[in-house]
Amino acid sequence: MSVAVGITPIEASLFVFVLLTAVLTALFRDVLASIVVFAAYSLGLALLYTFYRAPDVGLTEAAIGAGVTTVFLLLTIAKTTRPASDARFESINWPAVGVCGLFVLVVGATLPAFPAVGDPASPILANADVTGYYIANAYDETGAENAVTAVLAAYRGFDTFGEAIVVFAAGVASLLVLGREVFTA
Amino acid sequence: MSSDRLDGDTNGIARQRPMYTESQVIMTTVKAVIPFVLTYGLFITFHGTSSPGGGFQGGALVASVVLMIAFAFGIESTREWLSNSLVVGLGTVGVAIFAGIALVPMALGENFLDYTAYYPVLGDTLGLKEYEFVKYGMEAVEIGGIAFIVSGVLMGLFFALAAGVTPPSGTASDAAEASDSDGETDVDDGETAGDTATEAGENE
Repeated sequence: MSVAVGITPIEASLFVFVLLTAVLTALFRDVLASIVVFAAYSLGLALLYTFYRAPDVGLTEAAIGAGVTTVFLLLTIAKTTRPASDARFESINWPAVGVCGLFVLVVGATLPAFPAVGDPASPILANADVTGYYIANAYDETGAENAVTAVLAAYRGFDTFGEAIVVFAAGVASLLVLGREVFTA
Repeated sequence: MSSDRLDGDTNGIARQRPMYTESQVIMTTVKAVIPFVLTYGLFITFHGTSSPGGGFQGGALVASVVLMIAFAFGIESTREWLSNSLVVGLGTVGVAIFAGIALVPMALGENFLDYTAYYPVLGDTLGLKEYEFVKYGMEAVEIGGIAFIVSGVLMGLFFALAAGVTPPSGTASDAAEASDSDGETDVDDGETAGDTATEAGENE
């Protein structure tokens, strides 16, 4: 019934890469090193999304996570001072590690309840009132080859409108917080 | 501004990163890369309905072109090159286009964002089938709405972050303190008078 989907070596190495960069982001004492490793983490995550057939999410992660966020963070630390310390890594706060480990265990305990990747018996495909409708009718009704865009811009266009307004509001709010009237001088 | 801070910490306790260093390597790389990134961003925006991506990803890529130019050639000169009305206009026009496309169907008696409402009005003029109005309506929203908003806001956030906080009025922080003590005057007259005197003394 359930299709056993193994994990390919590339996916496994990407998982290891993402985990490693995530831990290193927390460990590096120099903020610049943290930001560079964080960009690598976003890139690994973007590749992982692409391997799991979510290229739209992968593109967003690459453009926003690895690209723009890195630039914004670099810009922010350019305005700060760096501590002149020779230590390469932060000292580890073991109680915090314990709490994080406990959280990972609790969340990880729900993992066996998930269906395998691509399992046709998974609830989202088996009870396909909504998903199945999109897959069956998106092309005929909207003429869009990319069903994700059909959902985002047509079926769920109202949500997307709200998201676009949120982005605009974020720009306005940043000007208000910074006490500026114009973006560029 | 940053050079002042650089001079202040020569004792090795903390050192400030310079905001901009002219680098031949970065400038050459950016010059070579930006035409491709800009083309890719526009491609992703315009092909949102037929391939992965869309206005959000494409708009972010187009904005990242400006970010790269600013990193390579200096943020201040890029800020002067791009006018404020362009950056703000991109975002505002994007909201106006998105809201306009969404609201016109309501004026025609259909639902919010119902692209097929355009069919009875424009169908004969443009020679399009009903479902094609949905496709081109989505394209219009992706390009004229989301891509404009995202690219404008990301560029604006970048320049706003680079410029930092502007004091409310004037150049010095005296103005901020003065307006603070004005606000306190309404609450408690006696203490504020003393505070203002102390602050004036400190400032001089």
